[in-house]
Amino acid sequence: MSETPILQVERLSKSFRGLAAIADVSFAIAPGSITSIIGPNGAGKSTLFNLVTGYLVPTAGEVTFRDRRITRLATNRIAELGIARAFQIARPFRELTVSENVRIGALFGKAGARDVAATTMRGMTLASIAHLADQPANSLTVGQLRHLEIARAIATRADLLLADEPCAGLNPTETAAMIDVLRQIRASGVTVVLVEHDMPSVMEVSDRILVLDAGRLIADGPPQAVSQDAKVIAAYLGTPDE
Amino acid sequence: MTRTSSLMLLTVAVALLLAALPLVLPPFYVRVGQLMLYSAGLGVAWAILGGFAGYASFGHAAFIGVGAFSAGLVETRLGGVPPALLLPIGIVVGGACCGVLSAVIAYPLLRLRGTFFAIAMLGVSNVCAELTNNVDFFEGSLGLTFPTVVPASLDPAIFFYELFLVAGLVVLLIAWKIRDSRFGAGLLSIREDEDTARMLGVPTERYKRTAFVISAILTGIMGVIYGHSLGYITTDSVYRNDTNLNLIVYSLLGGMGTLFGPVIGAFLLVFITQVILGRLLDFHLFATGLLLAFLVLAAPGGVIGLVRGWRQRRKRTGAVPAE
Repeated sequence: MSETPILQVERLSKSFRGLAAIADVSFAIAPGSITSIIGPNGAGKSTLFNLVTGYLVPTAGEVTFRDRRITRLATNRIAELGIARAFQIARPFRELTVSENVRIGALFGKAGARDVAATTMRGMTLASIAHLADQPANSLTVGQLRHLEIARAIATRADLLLADEPCAGLNPTETAAMIDVLRQIRASGVTVVLVEHDMPSVMEVSDRILVLDAGRLIADGPPQAVSQDAKVIAAYLGTPDE
Repeated sequence: MTRTSSLMLLTVAVALLLAALPLVLPPFYVRVGQLMLYSAGLGVAWAILGGFAGYASFGHAAFIGVGAFSAGLVETRLGGVPPALLLPIGIVVGGACCGVLSAVIAYPLLRLRGTFFAIAMLGVSNVCAELTNNVDFFEGSLGLTFPTVVPASLDPAIFFYELFLVAGLVVLLIAWKIRDSRFGAGLLSIREDEDTARMLGVPTERYKRTAFVISAILTGIMGVIYGHSLGYITTDSVYRNDTNLNLIVYSLLGGMGTLFGPVIGAFLLVFITQVILGRLLDFHLFATGLLLAFLVLAAPGGVIGLVRGWRQRRKRTGAVPAE
């Protein structure tokens, strides 16, 4: 990798009462890329996101964002530096409208309340939910809620978006729309890291795939190479007759 | 004219009307008015933490008591100071003591959420009450007499009515400013989902502590004025568990999390209990409880929730094209 990585994870480990959820994982993310993290349930994908965003403190290892160690920083400080996260299960502020939800993102994070109205609109436009601006969040469909999660995260003016299963539970049309949104976000200069189970989406959108199994990184490379990796097939993808 | 400007104008008009009312009201209603304004000020101060940030305190009477007793203890020792200065000094002392107390207890208490926080605050209120009652220095069991601060030419009832009005308006304006600020948006996000708020960059711990301290200082200041209005206080007159309960009820009745909800709730509850149900004597508390249960069941969003629902329904009906 020739460019300076936007995110670097070095020998990261996290144990819960002796059980290793993440074990000695290292990788670097290139700026402007879309990277997917895949693996079976319990592989440690969401735990990895929790460690990067400061929601959990690692047992060992370091996380560096733009040459700055963020390993033990508070979650809100990490968001201020430019890392945003969209949750697996959408967590909107249900009593607020779509634009009010996105506005909170624009007031905080790296955005820090500069050009709040414009930043809010940019977030909604990038996530294709500007037409829902005045809708109460509690009236949205599952697909729309996922777009809201992305819009709110992007409104923080993050440089790195961690999206936890943005396509989960979406029908093919909604999945295609979400992939389009992720591509637009990347085109706007934001680096994207996905955790995703939907393999066709992963293969379509990713520049690179990391595969976790039982907390360990077992493969790392371009989609085609990873999909043919024997360890990945055995641990996650399976053979056609399985 | 924006909605905020209209609301501000309406608030000024209502405040002017309220300021003029003691000139025409009988003394009993002036005292009821005092209680309404005091309760509204307390309700809004409580709502900065309980309504905006969603940390419902069940022990804010602690700050009424600490504010009133600290101010009273200092004022009674300032013999040579002109009476006109005693009340401002008391307000500064009472507010400062509540600020220090809340800043100290904020660290451990605000780690708790929901019911746990509410009950921990009840514990704080009871501990403060017991200390005031049992430590001789605080004079809580014997009682503390406040020095007179009302000019001889003025009716004390009207003086304190107007003072509660001014203090209530100051509390309302501070809460208004907070609600419309970045800080207010952060508190709102904490109420909705604290973990998500933190993930978006909201400094949740600092914001909660700040809201708690502001709420405590404003409650303490209302407590200082309340102590003066009573003239003589004991532990039981300021550390009241019914006040702890009422502060939640004001927001529930008016509209939880809203700016004007606690004002509407306080005015309603005080008027209903003091003027309407007050005539029922022994059945007064029974009828009040029944009424509250009915109101909360019928309008869980409070009066403001009812009005918003009605406006939304009207908007939807209006949007349907005429046949």
